[in-house]
Amino acid sequence: MTLLELKRGNIATVSKLNGGKSVIARMSDLGFREGKTIQLLRKAPFHGPLLVEDVNCGAKIMISRKIALSIEVHCEEAK
Amino acid sequence: MKKPNDEIVIALAGQPNCGKSTIFNAVAGFKVDTGNFAGTTVTFTETKVYIGGRSIRLIDLPGTYSLSSHDTAEKVARDYLLSGNVDIIINVLDSSLLSRSLELTIQLLEMNIPMVMALNMYDEAKDKGIEIDVEELTGLTGVKACPVVGVQGIGIRELFVAALSVTREEFKPVIPIYDRDVEECIAGIANRYPAALRDVLAMNDRFVIVRLLEMDEEFEKKVKEIDGAFMRFVGEKRRLLADLHNWPESGVLSSHRHAIVLNLFEQIARVKPRTGIDYREKIDHFITNPLGGLLTITVLLFLMFYSSFWLGDIISRIIDQPLDSLGSIIKGLTGGGLVAVAISGLYDGFVAGIGIVIPYLIPLLILLAIMEDTGLLPRIAFMVDGILHKFGLHGTAVVPIILGYGCNVPAIMATRALEHERDRFITMLIIPFIACSARTVVILALAGKYLGALYTTAIYIGNIAIALVLSFLLSRFKVDMAPGIIMDVPRLRRPYINIVAKKVWMRLYEFLAFAWPVIAISSVVLSFLSYIGIDKLINGILSPLTSGLLKLPQQTGITLFLGVFRKELTILMLNAALGTADITTVLSHSQILVLVVFAVLYVPCVATISTLWKEGGWRIALSSICLNTVVSLGVAGALAHLSVWFL
Repeated sequence: MTLLELKRGNIATVSKLNGGKSVIARMSDLGFREGKTIQLLRKAPFHGPLLVEDVNCGAKIMISRKIALSIEVHCEEAK
Repeated sequence: MKKPNDEIVIALAGQPNCGKSTIFNAVAGFKVDTGNFAGTTVTFTETKVYIGGRSIRLIDLPGTYSLSSHDTAEKVARDYLLSGNVDIIINVLDSSLLSRSLELTIQLLEMNIPMVMALNMYDEAKDKGIEIDVEELTGLTGVKACPVVGVQGIGIRELFVAALSVTREEFKPVIPIYDRDVEECIAGIANRYPAALRDVLAMNDRFVIVRLLEMDEEFEKKVKEIDGAFMRFVGEKRRLLADLHNWPESGVLSSHRHAIVLNLFEQIARVKPRTGIDYREKIDHFITNPLGGLLTITVLLFLMFYSSFWLGDIISRIIDQPLDSLGSIIKGLTGGGLVAVAISGLYDGFVAGIGIVIPYLIPLLILLAIMEDTGLLPRIAFMVDGILHKFGLHGTAVVPIILGYGCNVPAIMATRALEHERDRFITMLIIPFIACSARTVVILALAGKYLGALYTTAIYIGNIAIALVLSFLLSRFKVDMAPGIIMDVPRLRRPYINIVAKKVWMRLYEFLAFAWPVIAISSVVLSFLSYIGIDKLINGILSPLTSGLLKLPQQTGITLFLGVFRKELTILMLNAALGTADITTVLSHSQILVLVVFAVLYVPCVATISTLWKEGGWRIALSSICLNTVVSLGVAGALAHLSVWFL
């Protein structure tokens, strides 16, 4: 499934980053890589971005829905 | 006297928002802006300091996540570090995000420039339950690590003492070793490393090879020019390596580096789960909730505008009385003639500067400083990104736009942190419409005072609406290629009073040192102009616009003209130009509204235009002038003819 399909509060593991070279590079810079455990904290209103936390280090980043669509995740506790 | 070559160049390098500028300010006095969001510093600032009798040039670089640059600000940092001018690097790390910060550290190590590490925000790390073995970190990297709390000035002295004791001869960093396949690949390339490259690049071979394996476009271009065959050889090796791991070519090295960092982090840090309630998380949870966010933004806007209004009123009431009596004393002392004209002009400018500007400026600056330091700006960007998208902008543009409420000049510079040219283009043209502090003074001192809170609010909302509509129209010209926002959301921090105070003082000082003299001189010039009658000439030239289209008294022409130099001048010179202290006797309410709206929207000051020119070229500067002129004349002209119906 993709990051966009996660529900608020779900914890998941990033399994694959798709998309352009610069997008992948930017996400890796922010610590968002394959194998990372993440939690979806919020989805912003009006079709806005997603707020995602790196569960291990507590870093938070926001990612647009378009990019979230290109991130494959494996959800451990789908509700 | 010291020779310049005795000077040591120390550069502060680190990832965005790790506190480089805070450390810089702690050493240099408050000289550069700080804020709790990535990209506060977009260009490098340098200062001269003397520590232990040695002359040091200290450079504050923009933050960069890695040595592969993405946006304009990151490129500045990277180019400076690679220029060969840096003697010592102080690598600033955010201890509360240690593993992420170390990614850059490993890359800096490969450059083999003398370096120390500043483990900044050490208190935050402790608060999060991260225990760092500083000795072990120093041992494993060969680089001295110093715990630092920049905002409180803790550990700064030790940091610089450590930095000054590192020498090129004695600096022995532990260069990170990658997996065997990667090392074999590097060794294979090193065997064929052309000597010509060494002469031209003046960097160590291994560093250049690592950059090439990372598909660093600039290095690739340079190497291709010097030795095309070698570059093709590297490309083959790189492809083989990627195939071996079944990874994308550009990510192989960074993944390996990430593994090194994780390994290092496990050896030097222990993370204990924190106990008790995390209030910071609770507040963050509230702010990022749609309803909570909306409430926060509304309260902030309310505070921003009404505290300026209310606090400003109190301050002006306190200082009005003594200033008035001073004025009558001065005017009583001077007789007639030119001297009296000059003195009364100077006095008017002086009084206008502190009497009208300061009361409205201080509250605005305090609130902006607090918003910047707490980390609210990225959260506002998160909340409004969706809405902004409908108008062709990204949430990232929110940060420069809100900074524009303070001053348009740094706001335009802040667009450097925007990754895409299209977003920069639109944001740069929108910012000159944002009511900066100078225009806030105009709005509050005219609309606030004479038209009331309702109209003042309406002017602000109308201003935002115009900016959004323009952004929508501008975005039609350029297709949005960007996949959208990816942005760091830093931890919320409490504002520190000393830092907020210093920041407000720095910006106030800029007003006192640069704007105030301009105001006082303009005031003198205006007195002379009206003494010899030239103001009437300017008023006459502008009269088709002022009295024709905008239905304003002809005398406002000169004040609007002066507003191009400093926006405050429009209001400050108004009394003098109209020849009365109570402008309601000369201007109707509808005229006041038209005057304010026109002053807010028309060509921003000279400083803004020249910044636009510098940052975006003459086309952007010229487009901005045309856009502002057309929009201001259109909107204010329409208001002039329509407002008679409701005002």
